[in-house]
Amino acid sequence: MKILIIEDEARIAKRLERMTRDFFDKEVQILLCDSLENGLNTIETQTIDLLLLDLNLNGEDGFDVLQSVTAKSFQTIIISAYTDKAITAFNYGVLDFVPKPFDETRLSQAFTRFTSSEKQPNGAIQFLAVKKAKTIKLILIEEIKYIKGAGIYTELHLTDGRIELHDKSLESLEKLLPSSFQRIHKSYILCWHEADKLVVEAGGRYNMLLKNGELLPVGRSKYKEIRFRMI
Amino acid sequence: MYRLPFFIAFLLLLFTSCEQYSDYVKSDVTYYSNDEYLYDYLGNSKDAVFKVNLPLELLKRENIATPLGLQVNGFGAFDVYWDGIFVGSNGKIARSGQDEVPGTEMTYYQIPENLAGIGKHVVTINGTQTQLREANRGISIKLESFLSLHRAPLIVMSFMNLMAGAFLIAAIYYFFLYVNSMRKETTVLLFGIICLLFFCLLLIEYVKFYIDIPYPQYYTRLKIVGWLTFCISILVPWYFMLQFDFKKKKLFLFLLLLSLLAIYIIYYGHYDLTAIYFSYVMCLFSIIIASNATIRKVKGGLIVVTGLLASIVVNYFVFFDFGLFVAFTIIVLSMLYLHTIRAKAIEEAHNASLLLSSRLQLELIKKNIQPHFLRNTLTSLIDWVEESPQQGVVFIRALADEFDIMNSIAEETLIPIREEIALCQKHLEVMSFRKEICYDWEEKNIDDTEEIPPAIIHTIVENGITHSMTPKQDCIRFCLSFSKETNYKEYALLVIAANRKSKKDKSNGTGFKYIKARLNESYGNNWHFDSVAVEDGWLTTIKIFDIK
Repeated sequence: MKILIIEDEARIAKRLERMTRDFFDKEVQILLCDSLENGLNTIETQTIDLLLLDLNLNGEDGFDVLQSVTAKSFQTIIISAYTDKAITAFNYGVLDFVPKPFDETRLSQAFTRFTSSEKQPNGAIQFLAVKKAKTIKLILIEEIKYIKGAGIYTELHLTDGRIELHDKSLESLEKLLPSSFQRIHKSYILCWHEADKLVVEAGGRYNMLLKNGELLPVGRSKYKEIRFRMI
Repeated sequence: MYRLPFFIAFLLLLFTSCEQYSDYVKSDVTYYSNDEYLYDYLGNSKDAVFKVNLPLELLKRENIATPLGLQVNGFGAFDVYWDGIFVGSNGKIARSGQDEVPGTEMTYYQIPENLAGIGKHVVTINGTQTQLREANRGISIKLESFLSLHRAPLIVMSFMNLMAGAFLIAAIYYFFLYVNSMRKETTVLLFGIICLLFFCLLLIEYVKFYIDIPYPQYYTRLKIVGWLTFCISILVPWYFMLQFDFKKKKLFLFLLLLSLLAIYIIYYGHYDLTAIYFSYVMCLFSIIIASNATIRKVKGGLIVVTGLLASIVVNYFVFFDFGLFVAFTIIVLSMLYLHTIRAKAIEEAHNASLLLSSRLQLELIKKNIQPHFLRNTLTSLIDWVEESPQQGVVFIRALADEFDIMNSIAEETLIPIREEIALCQKHLEVMSFRKEICYDWEEKNIDDTEEIPPAIIHTIVENGITHSMTPKQDCIRFCLSFSKETNYKEYALLVIAANRKSKKDKSNGTGFKYIKARLNESYGNNWHFDSVAVEDGWLTTIKIFDIK
């Protein structure tokens, strides 16, 4: 596993590195960058799994950076002094926001959110940042009908019929999305408001009929949970 | 139906008057008199003796309770007779071996009641005029009740003195304002002078009622009035030009002076007329200036144009003496109004500067409590305390010291340079704990007696820390040098380190805004700030020019 730490204060960077190493039991490769610019270059050249970002969110370009990193496949945890900007950071789809000064417990909590497969929704996400050509486009969460896994990408199927590609895996997105989104299949996350009824086909295959008439497969392992939620 | 008899009576009346009397005068005494102004009575007699008979017919007296009065306007020294009876004298007539004692231009005489009956009378004036014979001034008489003759000037003067007093106070106030003001605004001084001149004008104009000016000095007063009007006619448009920031001041002033001189030359000797034309020119120029200001939408322009037009209207309907003064008063009032507008603008600017000062104070205090500084420092501090409590204590001390200095300078606008340097050094100490980079402080030619706005070098140091790359092994060096030249002093801070690449233009950051605002607050526009990349790193210079 590769973790990138972008932090310009040497002391804090070391602290983060130490705590990260402690949490992940040294099986982790940690990259350190002391400037945002270097950090963003590293992201372009290397594939990482998690980004710990110290973002000066008070600056005007703070949110541009936030959009560009949340559009990527890895998860992002913000470590920032600007605690009042936490909500905004969540809106853009970061996994967690650790306010400075932090201790080991708080950081571990953030790491747990990253490692556990369980959904720990914070409910604040409002957009998914999508890379389009060279710009970043923000997709409103309410516009998403369902999400389909497509190899290393995911397809966001929107209410107006458009399909956008996102770099994050279904697993990563599942952690970010609010509870109104339900994983129904290994390749599908559905916005629950779109669900109409559960259809059982011959041969024991389950499908979900959407309000617009589309049919999505339902995983055998998810069936119980979904049936329960339908009631 | 009664028209015809009335008309005939009127015609008859007209013809009877034509026989002997040309003027029909009605005050509280109704009478006919011959030519009111009698010229050429002096003749060519060498001894300058004259005798004038002025016949008149008294028709009606309304106010019999008070005696009849006679007003005589004329030059010379003379005795006045009413129907051959001596009623008074003015000065002393020249006799052989005795020089003339000049009388004054206007005199009043009381007519004995037993002689003041309805009917024909004759006023005889016997006298000499040894001086100003070339003036060829006429003699005129006027009948009115003795009381009214004396009361009329009092009524006029009560108003004029009221105005004169107001202008005197205004003049004194504006002189004091000018003397005690830091700005020494020309307009304030000019306004004071205008008010004073106007006070003098009123005084001189009406001095004739309470001082007996000998007739040879009669024109002196008029000359003074003329010159005062001349000065006012220059100063008022000049004032408006300054107040409205008129372009082409010199050209306009030259034209104004030219027209006034032309009037002076063309109408030389016509004192009252000259003064009227002076005021016309003044009004014309002022209106042009004020209209220009109105077009340019300068505040107060419209008010002045209105005031000037109003004064023209007043001048048109009221006799010169009053009209001029009322018109002047309106003009001065509109000038006063302009002045209050100006004062308001200055007050607003002052308030804005106070607001700026308190905003800068707040910004200074915020430097150390803003999250970026405080929370990062605290995070580092926790780490130091966890890892090496002793070093942590040193860190805390440095932080406490920086806070102390910040606290002590927070409310100042200028602090000793030593204090500023101490602040920078403490900040570097704190930052060295945070960044784990070694920072060196060097200084050259620092003059400990100099002062500087608080935290401006501190701000440059902060920028230096943010924009310098971490050196491989060496320290980042901050070199502050001071130099004093003939007309300015200069602080230069050189940060010796490799610069980080930055996409953003640094020259408009909040840090620089703070520095510039602080320099403005203390030095006005007499400073120059520059911040550029150099070969060694980053050089920031602050030049403070001596105020001339």
